[in-house]
Amino acid sequence: MEAEFPALVSARLGDRVAAVEVFPGTLGRVRFRADAALDVFRSMRDDLAFDHLSMIGGIDWVDHREVFYVLWSDARRAYVILSTDLPAENPHIESATCIWPAANWHERETWEMVDIHFDHHPDLRHLLMPDGYVFHPLLRSFKLHEPEELEVKTRNV
Amino acid sequence: MSASSVTAASGAVKTPGTELPVVTQPGVPFIEIETLRAKEFLPAAKEALSAMIAERGREDLTQPVFNWAGRNSLFPLHWGLACCAIEFAAAFGARWDAERFGVVPRSSPRQCDLMIVNGTVTWKVAHKLIALYEQMPEPKWVIAMGNCATGGGPFRTAYSVVPGVDKLVPVDLYIAGCPPRPEAMLDGILKLEELIRERKE
Repeated sequence: MEAEFPALVSARLGDRVAAVEVFPGTLGRVRFRADAALDVFRSMRDDLAFDHLSMIGGIDWVDHREVFYVLWSDARRAYVILSTDLPAENPHIESATCIWPAANWHERETWEMVDIHFDHHPDLRHLLMPDGYVFHPLLRSFKLHEPEELEVKTRNV
Repeated sequence: MSASSVTAASGAVKTPGTELPVVTQPGVPFIEIETLRAKEFLPAAKEALSAMIAERGREDLTQPVFNWAGRNSLFPLHWGLACCAIEFAAAFGARWDAERFGVVPRSSPRQCDLMIVNGTVTWKVAHKLIALYEQMPEPKWVIAMGNCATGGGPFRTAYSVVPGVDKLVPVDLYIAGCPPRPEAMLDGILKLEELIRERKE
């Protein structure tokens, strides 16, 4: 199945997918176009039977940002990784909450940590940090603050 | 058991006009003894107490009593935020048995007079901690247990950690250690009892 998976993805998704790369422990790392995100998600769930969203994460590569989705298929007994690049200025992508409800909290965490905005998310607010927290701590540009400075900036928010 | 049956059982002659039971059997009802004692002793005690209060003032008499009662029955509110909570739990086990000092952990802040913060306080939980502290009745004390609650510990510069719980609530006692042993926690509680004893209102 691993050998024929890239061809299967290309047949289903066409030019919405840029490449299927080899990734150890999974069927592959599917690089898709961010503007076709919702089509890719729906096709992965309905046509390719990846019915479980395991996690969502984001990476700050300074010149651009990457958001990735780890999917699990009970039918195939295999993982697959969806990945796409977003611009460093105003990175945003369509929310996957309507496809996999589990995406809700993962997208909230990704947004607050690496500042990737998820369009049409039902409730995009802070998950791990208090409301009104102004930083995105896992960005490369974030600097560790002196405790007193952090206290001033985060109190009474 | 009615009055007539008591007299009938004891064999006493029932004459009209004396309706009170004549109790001759050994089992005297406890409630009657209490009633008698209240009639006999309480007015005298009341008078003596009133005289003392008039002489020395109410606060002088009640404050040491409340101080003594309070410091010997500290009910802690338990903030099990990190690994210090394991040591806290061990202190209430059979080996260290913190309850011999009158320390009984409660679940509701309204029953507590001591808040033991054992663990890493994050900014997310900070305002809940303040809210629960404000729900505790006065007088109340706070113990910061472990390095995280004292000063942030190894996470002092982290983006999500409060650098010491004294940024949020007034702390009476700090216990060092990462985590402190149960003996250290018990020692801290005894030190706090000394603090309360020396407290001047």
